[in-house]
Amino acid sequence: MSSQEQNHQENNRNAENTTHFGYKTVDKDDKVSMVASVFHSVAAQYDVMNDLMSFGIHRLWKRFTIDASGVRPGNTVLDLAGGTGDLTAKFSQLVGREGKVILADINSSMLNVGRDKLRDRGLVQNIEYVQANAQYLPFEDNTFDIVTIAFGLRNVTDKDMALRSIYRVLKPGGRLLVLEFSKPEHELVNKAYDFYSFNILPKIGELVAKDGDSYQYLAESIRMHPDQETLKSMMNDAGFEQTSFKNLTGGVVALHKGYKF
Amino acid sequence: MESLPKPLLKIMPQLMLQQVMCSALEIIINKALSLNINSNEQLNNLEQKTLAVKLAELGFPLCFSISDCKVLVTKLIDRADCTITTSIKTLRELKKEQHLTELIKQDKLDVEGDIKIAQYFASLAETMDIDWQTELAKHIGDVATHKLVQFSKLVKGKIDFASEQIQADASEYLVHEKQLVVTKSQINHFNQAVTAVNMQTEQVENRINQLFDNLRIKT
Repeated sequence: MSSQEQNHQENNRNAENTTHFGYKTVDKDDKVSMVASVFHSVAAQYDVMNDLMSFGIHRLWKRFTIDASGVRPGNTVLDLAGGTGDLTAKFSQLVGREGKVILADINSSMLNVGRDKLRDRGLVQNIEYVQANAQYLPFEDNTFDIVTIAFGLRNVTDKDMALRSIYRVLKPGGRLLVLEFSKPEHELVNKAYDFYSFNILPKIGELVAKDGDSYQYLAESIRMHPDQETLKSMMNDAGFEQTSFKNLTGGVVALHKGYKF
Repeated sequence: MESLPKPLLKIMPQLMLQQVMCSALEIIINKALSLNINSNEQLNNLEQKTLAVKLAELGFPLCFSISDCKVLVTKLIDRADCTITTSIKTLRELKKEQHLTELIKQDKLDVEGDIKIAQYFASLAETMDIDWQTELAKHIGDVATHKLVQFSKLVKGKIDFASEQIQADASEYLVHEKQLVVTKSQINHFNQAVTAVNMQTEQVENRINQLFDNLRIKT
């Protein structure tokens, strides 16, 4: 084997073992703990920061997701990377006592904040809490009618693996909804969004959550996340059918939807 | 029926106005329910039931689901137990439960599904009563509330008086000065004249028919 081929193979091996953490390239094994430390750091201020950063629009994006979910009384819903439980709260009310919602998050701090918040609101009857990695979902095949992952997929180390894992736990006829930051449709919006993300966002993070670095990571991770069409094809590759996406707020956020048949 | 303007309908998804509207309605309805001095026991009959309202002016459905005595406003039409298709004007009349059948007969309202759900919702709206003075007093105190209520009654009286005056003056100006509009007595007089002409025409017609008959007998 020539030295060129040896170098090439070594590069491939490195590429297989590495991933992005914002703009940095890191070992796949390290990303989980690095993302975890970001969310441990911001968990307590997560809701306040969401409202500040998005001017409250994240509530409308989540409401749009609920409207697109087609949830019915008695459904079983998995709110993956559910964080502080905004979607879980609504789903819990909409599935009723016959239904069930599982709030899953890889991060224990986020899960604790979510659990406290939902219990304070009196939502206890049909919600379960599970600490889980999206790549290795600890549920049986064909369990859920709906799986949602809102602002979580970009933090997952191996997104393809996570999509396959979600596909496995969905019931036939079930649907996945991915709400995630995406690529703005217009160049002008893109430039304004870039300026806001890299100059203002970390400063708000520094002031409110006392952690500018985490919000610098947020901005970088959004740019490294697959665009609308790429994510759609990733969902197709994982087995989802009738996949589609809807741009919200000019493509700053997109809601992807796919079915398992 | 006029719906929303096309440009607005086009940008609505981008501005997420539908979600804004659902969100605002949800907050207002739940606040009103929490302030209702009458019992909200109707809500127990509606647990996990959904009423969908399709308003001709809106172009998207509003779905009201009840969960743990709270109202959720969504666009989840598939889960509706009862769907009402109507207009905003008719919806105001719907507040009285007994109007429901009448409005259906007049084709102002179309109901699909379990009509009981619509009746429960109508009944809930009818029994809604909020003691605004007590609620206001909690925030600004009894004396200030009393003064504010007195003041608002005074302002309302003056507005009503001004409104009546403007109407009377406008009517005077249009009828007598500009003579653009006729008075009621003039309309009555005109109607009477039309009736008289009608009767005279009938008499002439009868007379002509009689003459024709006479002519036929002679020939």
